[in-house]
Amino acid sequence: MNKLNKKITPGQIGLFTFLGLFALAQLFPLVWLFNYSLHKSGNLFGKKVFELPDPPQWGNYVRAWTDGRIVQYFSNTLIVVFFSITLIMAFSFMLAYACARMKWKLRSAIYSIVLLGMVIPIHTTLLPNFMWFKQFGLIDTRIGIIIPYIAFNMAFSVLMFTGFLQSVPYAMEESAYMEGAGLGRILISIIAPMAKSGFVTVGIMAFLNCWNEFIMANTFLASEPKRTLPFAIIRFEGQYSSDYAVQFACMILVAIIPIIIYFTFSKRVIAGVTAGSVKG
Amino acid sequence: MNSVLNSKKTIFLLVFPGLAIMVFAILAPILLSLYYSLTSWSGFGAKEFIGLANYKEIITKDATFWRSLWNALLLLGVTVFIQNVLAFILASVLIQLTDRLSLILRTIYFVPAILTVVVITKLWVNIMNPNFGLLNKLLKSAGLEDLAYAWLSDPKTALGAVIFITVWHGFGWALLFYYSGLTTVPKELEEAAVVDGAGPVTRYLKVVIPYMMPVIQAVIIIDITACLKQMEIVMLTTAGGPGNTTQFVAYHLYEQAFKFSRYGYGNAISILFVIIALTITLLARKYLSGDNGNE
Repeated sequence: MNKLNKKITPGQIGLFTFLGLFALAQLFPLVWLFNYSLHKSGNLFGKKVFELPDPPQWGNYVRAWTDGRIVQYFSNTLIVVFFSITLIMAFSFMLAYACARMKWKLRSAIYSIVLLGMVIPIHTTLLPNFMWFKQFGLIDTRIGIIIPYIAFNMAFSVLMFTGFLQSVPYAMEESAYMEGAGLGRILISIIAPMAKSGFVTVGIMAFLNCWNEFIMANTFLASEPKRTLPFAIIRFEGQYSSDYAVQFACMILVAIIPIIIYFTFSKRVIAGVTAGSVKG
Repeated sequence: MNSVLNSKKTIFLLVFPGLAIMVFAILAPILLSLYYSLTSWSGFGAKEFIGLANYKEIITKDATFWRSLWNALLLLGVTVFIQNVLAFILASVLIQLTDRLSLILRTIYFVPAILTVVVITKLWVNIMNPNFGLLNKLLKSAGLEDLAYAWLSDPKTALGAVIFITVWHGFGWALLFYYSGLTTVPKELEEAAVVDGAGPVTRYLKVVIPYMMPVIQAVIIIDITACLKQMEIVMLTTAGGPGNTTQFVAYHLYEQAFKFSRYGYGNAISILFVIIALTITLLARKYLSGDNGNE
């Protein structure tokens, strides 16, 4: 691990240039966006490749915040994501427990069918669901979007939990069963704490999937008061079609929330995704 | 204890909620789609049953459908041979650094992956804008004005631009997959190779890459599904145009149903799409994992 010595060699300069170029490629577009969100829109058409705003137009953010209805879209997204993640974790944990620990006839058949869900593209259900959900009055409701979010996150989450449960020792729950504890109590107070890292991983992956999901939200949630955050940008683009700086400010506002959450929990997110990719 | 673990009621209670939701939101709509695909329904009014006519039309007449499959294949090629290779090289460098530095860099490289596709796409639409975009300004300042394009609307560059955005957005995931794979390569294996006098390149070709084959295969399988599914970026940049140069299957079926009111036809594309996705993934899984079946 200690390959970095005190003296700087040409090889190290090359190495850091290489690493820096990738960081630049991944981050500079966002820096550019942020920078020009503080300009007057006209400045974008200047000759210079990059230029700091003077003075910064914070007013762009005020307009994006109020006219972009960020608070409204943000709370809509939060409601949908909160219920989706909670139910995804609960249902996939239960299903995984039944598949990993219990003996029943249809176990392997059901397990394979659930995993098949990973291969089905979301987009193939867009058209039929539109008609199908209409029959139940689920179009343009939050429940109507939470249900497919749960469905499409089940397969991966069950796979993850099954993996974690296999590494949780059997002895603890066995003795708890002997003492006559009920299944519900055992699941909640013994197994769930031991599979904590599983919950973190599943929670993070489900959060990223649901928070950023666009196409189903755009297709099924038609009415303005229920739309989710990504839609703010689309609507704003129509409203402020030539006012690019304010549009950029709106994009930054939409991006900033997951970025803050991400940097607060970055260690967990990276570890969670890494664990997820090893098992998946 | 076995009475609890075998109780039919308990099993039912545990399995039912998740399974029921999957049946309701995935299986049922696909069966319904199969039914709609046999009609010429527009989405409103009466349905007329037309047998396999939609399928026949897709396979024999629908150039856009075939174009969209070809585009998915191109996207897959770029993903596997450029994105994955770069991600693998970068992951190999990161694994040599101190834990702290590598964590900081991985955190940075993963930033685009956590952002919604709408932000990412609109960001690049602006960077590629012919009037004020960063890309053309960079080219002009480097004296390469001839290379300045209206990237997303010129038929010569549109597909390349869409593929670039997709690959850029997915880079962080590929990097983390390979990084986590590389952490599992046993140090003794590499050390043994060094003792045998292998240089870094031989060490990679002879030891690390063969050991990583299962990870590489898993990533490729994920890539296949991801490339077939590609839709949002196309929808938000080119809407499949100019012409049908940047069409992808998912957007094609969406357009047929919601824009041209050919709901039955759109469902037929949808069903073919499920079949293609399932077949390719199952084949890839079988074929690719068959390679290391004797390990």
